Amino acid sequence: MDPEFRGDLDHHDGTSDALPGGYVEKRRPGELGFAIFLTLASLGLLYSAYGISGFEALSSPGSVPMATTSVMLISALVVAWRTAKLPKVAGETLSKDILPVMFIIFLGFLILFGVLLKPLGFLPTSALFLVAAIKLLSRKSWAYSLTVAFLSLFVIWLVFRIVFTVLLPAGIVPEAEFIQFFRNLLSGKG
Amino acid sequence: MEILLAILTVFTQPQLLILVAVGTFAGIYIGAIPGLSVTMAVSILISFTFSWDVLPAISLMVGIYMGGVYGGSRTAILLNIPGAPSAIATAMDGYPMAQKGEAGQAIGVTTVMSFFGGLIGIQVLALAAPLVSEFALTFQPRDYMLLAALGILLVGSLSTGSLVKGIFAGALGIAIGSVGRDPLTFTERFTFDFKLMEGGISFIAVMIGMFGVSEALQQLQNVNMKSVRQKIDRIVPSFGTIKKYLPLSLQTSSIGVIIGALPGTGGDIAALMAYDHAKRVTKNPKVPFGQGAMEGLVAPETANNAAVGGAFIPMMTLGIPGDAVTAIMIGALFIHGLNPGPMLMIDQPDMFWFIVGALLTANFFMLLFGLTGIKTFTKIVEMPRSIIIPLILLLSIVGAYAVNTSITDVYWMLGFGIFGYFMRHYGYPLGPVILGVILSRLLDDNWRRAIISEREDLGRFFEGIFTSPLSLVLFVSVILIFVSQTPIWTALKRRIFGRETS
Repeated sequence: MDPEFRGDLDHHDGTSDALPGGYVEKRRPGELGFAIFLTLASLGLLYSAYGISGFEALSSPGSVPMATTSVMLISALVVAWRTAKLPKVAGETLSKDILPVMFIIFLGFLILFGVLLKPLGFLPTSALFLVAAIKLLSRKSWAYSLTVAFLSLFVIWLVFRIVFTVLLPAGIVPEAEFIQFFRNLLSGKG
Repeated sequence: MEILLAILTVFTQPQLLILVAVGTFAGIYIGAIPGLSVTMAVSILISFTFSWDVLPAISLMVGIYMGGVYGGSRTAILLNIPGAPSAIATAMDGYPMAQKGEAGQAIGVTTVMSFFGGLIGIQVLALAAPLVSEFALTFQPRDYMLLAALGILLVGSLSTGSLVKGIFAGALGIAIGSVGRDPLTFTERFTFDFKLMEGGISFIAVMIGMFGVSEALQQLQNVNMKSVRQKIDRIVPSFGTIKKYLPLSLQTSSIGVIIGALPGTGGDIAALMAYDHAKRVTKNPKVPFGQGAMEGLVAPETANNAAVGGAFIPMMTLGIPGDAVTAIMIGALFIHGLNPGPMLMIDQPDMFWFIVGALLTANFFMLLFGLTGIKTFTKIVEMPRSIIIPLILLLSIVGAYAVNTSITDVYWMLGFGIFGYFMRHYGYPLGPVILGVILSRLLDDNWRRAIISEREDLGRFFEGIFTSPLSLVLFVSVILIFVSQTPIWTALKRRIFGRETS
């Protein structure tokens, strides 16, 4: 086995803290942009931290935020500086390796999921998401995607709604009435 | 006697025993399925066990932790895909063994050695934690502050990645943790005048985003990875085999416990260091390392399971997590109204001994489940990623929503998931972020306590540090980590961690 194997066919994506992604001696597409973004964001946060209580006292509520954001800014600057000096990784492009189409599609899915969760409710939103995602990823028939999606949704719903008693947005499905119906049915039998 | 009773609590309540068993069983599979990590599982689970009592919740999580650290080895051996980060080193010699038709033997040895390592870790925990907590009572606020800083820094400095990126990640975590109203003065911090942010950012949202969503998004690129099925023969290893590797396993277990007990560093780092240690001390391996050496299996597997017990030491005694999973467990204890730290050990020693008991039970279940049921195992593990990835994303969303029934948390979670995705790609470690978030409050409180007690005088603060041996040691360690950014250290680090196969 390749000792540099990172659990992801050596795509340098970072599987854990023991083996973070990226390359030591090279820069990936978009890495410099990310480092600059972090530097600017740290600068903004430092300004915001200064606004909390300024240099009022060492024990003021703003002292630790100011210290941490300064550390962020300095380390981000160092990272950006080092990254800028590194040569680019040959053969990697932003659209192929960092932001592949599938990633962007799933981003859209997730945002839609968040938007629809409250008004539509957990069950319909999840069903839509699972069917679409499994169909897209597996590239198998609709029958396969529908069966797998609904089966797994049923198991998840059973486990989390009944065993873990997690409250989920009901939305348009009269879930509570449904559970009550079955409870009545069971208690009627017993 | 009381201690013994507390350890045996697990057995007095069948419900708890079943939960530990279920947790361990689930943990083995979660650990084994590539793309599902223990950290991810525990961070999603914490939101679901939110409404439970504390003992059942802990039982389940302990089981998952123990099983998950072991489970990763199975797929590392059978498929050459480490199921969990802690099994990365296991694949190096495990898979070559499987290719030679020795998969059964490899799994058997791994299981017994994981059990052995786990046992040592738990023993050290049981012996060391009471002593450490007594010692911890003498800690000054400044010591806690330094320890927290040390924990956040250690992850970056012990991994192969860039320490500056680790420092950035840790500082970011502390900043995230301080969002909202300051608990002492009620001043708004980083709220940008949004009412929404006054309550702060839910650390569960950060955790699930970073370890659940970002991992799933990253796995999108490996959807079509094919696995090769291996033949499995006899599993239970002979006594002779075990005896032969006992000395090595004792050494690597010790490495595991120590790395685990260091604040911030866990099983994944322990396993890699143990593997390197085995390579150094084994002069004449029967089979060369990287081609199926048994030593290369024994070392990482004892170490990563020993690290589990080790990681609980700073968590239970100081309230400082030993690794990402214990960081999440600290969060779970907070949610259940417990405050891990020396006072917990004194006020509720039962809680500590219960956890020891649960770990011990989980370890035995791991041995039991590890040596049986291998046939069904291979089937479940081959579950296609096209199904797993959507399910993880779904569970992440449900989990983030469930804790506060708030849709805002879902957006935070997604935001951190996407951010974490980029962090992973560009080599920023995620562990320090979580540690920072969890330790932010502790760090902030103790800094202010320390500096107020010195009447806002920095000179007196440093005088305090230099006159107390403990503070001095901690302070010097923190400084050393910063110094380690110099080129001399980098060369040294490469020599210690260089994993080139000779």
